[in-house]
Amino acid sequence: MTNENEFTGADILLKALKDQEVDTIFGYPGGAVLPIYDAIFGQNFLKHVLVRQEAGAVHAAEGYARSSGKVGVLLVTSGPGVTNVVTGLTDALMDSIPIVCISGQVPSHLIGTDAFQECDTTGITRPCTKHNYLVKDVSKLSETIHEAFKIASSGRPGPVLIDIPKDVQFAKSKYISKKDISFREHRIKAGSKNVDKIFVEELVNHIKKSERPIFYVGGGCLNSGHQASQELIKLVNKTNIPITTTLHGLGCFPGEDKSSLGMLGMHGNYEANLAMNKCDLMINIGARFDDRVTGRLDAFSPDSIKFHIDIDQSSINKNVKVNFHTNTDITLTLKEINSFIESNNINFDDKDYSNWWGQINEWRKKECLHYEQGDEVIKPQHAISRLYELTKQKDTFVTTEVGQHQMWAAQYYKFSKPNRWITSGGLGTMGFGMPAAVGAQMANPDSLVIDIAGEASFLMNIQEIATAVQYKLPIKIFILNNEYMGMVRQWQELLHGSRYSESYVDALPDFKKLAESFNAVGVRAKNISELDDTINEMISIDRPVIADIWVDKKENCFPMIPSGAAHHEMLLSKYDKENPENQEKGKVLV
Amino acid sequence: MSSTSVYPTPINTFKQSKRSVLSVIVDNEPGILARIVGLFSGRGYNIEALNVTVVDVKKNLSRITIETLGEEKVISQIIAQLEKLVPVHSATNLAYLSESYEAEICLVKIEFENEEQDQKILNFADIYRSRTVQKRQNVVVYEISGTSERINKFLDDLDTIGGIKVELVRSGPIGLGI
Repeated sequence: MTNENEFTGADILLKALKDQEVDTIFGYPGGAVLPIYDAIFGQNFLKHVLVRQEAGAVHAAEGYARSSGKVGVLLVTSGPGVTNVVTGLTDALMDSIPIVCISGQVPSHLIGTDAFQECDTTGITRPCTKHNYLVKDVSKLSETIHEAFKIASSGRPGPVLIDIPKDVQFAKSKYISKKDISFREHRIKAGSKNVDKIFVEELVNHIKKSERPIFYVGGGCLNSGHQASQELIKLVNKTNIPITTTLHGLGCFPGEDKSSLGMLGMHGNYEANLAMNKCDLMINIGARFDDRVTGRLDAFSPDSIKFHIDIDQSSINKNVKVNFHTNTDITLTLKEINSFIESNNINFDDKDYSNWWGQINEWRKKECLHYEQGDEVIKPQHAISRLYELTKQKDTFVTTEVGQHQMWAAQYYKFSKPNRWITSGGLGTMGFGMPAAVGAQMANPDSLVIDIAGEASFLMNIQEIATAVQYKLPIKIFILNNEYMGMVRQWQELLHGSRYSESYVDALPDFKKLAESFNAVGVRAKNISELDDTINEMISIDRPVIADIWVDKKENCFPMIPSGAAHHEMLLSKYDKENPENQEKGKVLV
Repeated sequence: MSSTSVYPTPINTFKQSKRSVLSVIVDNEPGILARIVGLFSGRGYNIEALNVTVVDVKKNLSRITIETLGEEKVISQIIAQLEKLVPVHSATNLAYLSESYEAEICLVKIEFENEEQDQKILNFADIYRSRTVQKRQNVVVYEISGTSERINKFLDDLDTIGGIKVELVRSGPIGLGI
């Protein structure tokens, strides 16, 4: 007897995805997910994007999530299918990206027998997910999926994995819809819903008292939603306080605004790092005092009172002790700060921080991002600057791989809106950018999506160019080709006596021919005279394009705070010499 | 502040160590212990002792008690990390409560050779109010409860008797705030 109110596990999954308004899923089929693929075959609300390797699926889901603000979803098979996504899950965990990964598992009765393509999925992914499940009972499947989406997107977002044995995909049960599920609050970890009014009042009082305040804004502002950016812009305009952002905070505040000091940290702007070092009031909005940002901790902003807004309790006082903190959502808190200022008629007209800005403008005169572009070889910085100038009028999303090109992109490409900049920060995953561009283009079909790449990173997930071609995703891969793992080479030059051990990338493919062999388009710029035309050509082609930009092989990424050094010990160019004592200490760091 | 022992300790030699006892209420579901143990090993924290038991069958809750070492900053970070785990309802450092009680249970099997040893063992057992579980000709099994320090002290005292053989099992501390 079949009951018409009962559905197979595979159908329940599809119903739940529809209920969660999922319209795109990245995946790769295999034995343990065939029932789900069968269910996908017979429906039309869900677009499945077939990647070429599961790592591509997870980074594409990340790119989709970051660029759309929605949860990214992927589907992989058991065993190697799921072990291939471990890097991406860890990446999403580090960078707080909401994704849900569905994995197939061998049938329940075979679990623990070392069956074909069996692995301990929940065991392997436990430390690299926000939460994970092994669903052994089909009647629990609906609520598990809905809870997974809720957890992935609540509080500090992150990856959630649901492992479904094959027999559970066939077994039948009732479907429980999203609206009929009541979540148990302790499991959702959504952060406090109440604004901390004392925090807000203290903050405003400290702003009034301070002489040298600074906003230090991170990816948490992004995850709080677009309104957080709006409130932040309002607050900065009202107070005239300088603002610096982390790598992930880029775009939360317009990068070309006069109040913006740009990015801070290891390859951040001189003025941003010096201002952090000398400030007397630091207002951290959704940043986590990462080691790339703080430099040497005992010399980190020694004279400031620190305020920290972060929805993640464990980010408070983890690396740096703060004076005031709140765990409430950034949008709510910023709103309250703005309305407190308005309702109490507090104006900052008498507080223009002119001495502070005067000091900052002195630091700005160092022109830390200055470079000399000759008339032959393309400087990588110049390539990014030109890319920015030629694309800034367009609706553009930028993804990156990891390395020098990533830092140059962060320094020279300016973002005016949140969610336009998609990069692997915490984990630093080479091979992230191209599949992330696939995901971003799926979420934003009419926008220009560019992966700023290095030739070494690009080779790590090069197979996904086929995905872009198959789904007619006109992504642009802008390779700063210097034939080196540039950042490795830079560290070897600075810390290991220029012994370039294994950092030269020999036997590179001809990227133009490579593009053509995939039925994509290849373009190339060998020198400065070809750069603008190549960029314009790349933009104009409505197909996937690989742009091979030959850049100066020996260029290093400056400014730089060497590992183990403090903010005020930045190196501005290759002519700056590092304190040898720091160099020895820094060598052991990463 | 450290917890009060449910039994008095003869000589108070509480060390001012950086020891903390954490009490964690969790949903009793597969993998929860692995999550907690993985959190400790992955982030480089120590587990000195661990105890897990279901405490509410209807609500399906377990209480996990963890003894750990670390500075206050580290302990606060451990608590914050524990509270991020989805099945965790609450994580409490018993030392932060104004009043909390702590106990550990230990079963000790002692093999002795002569009357003199027997007398000394009996004497310590009496002082520490340990209960005799079983006594044979030259083997005795005691049960002793109290704070871990109290049990440590008892075992230290036993150690002063030469020539006996001791085998033991300890539950790890459990504790409750009031």
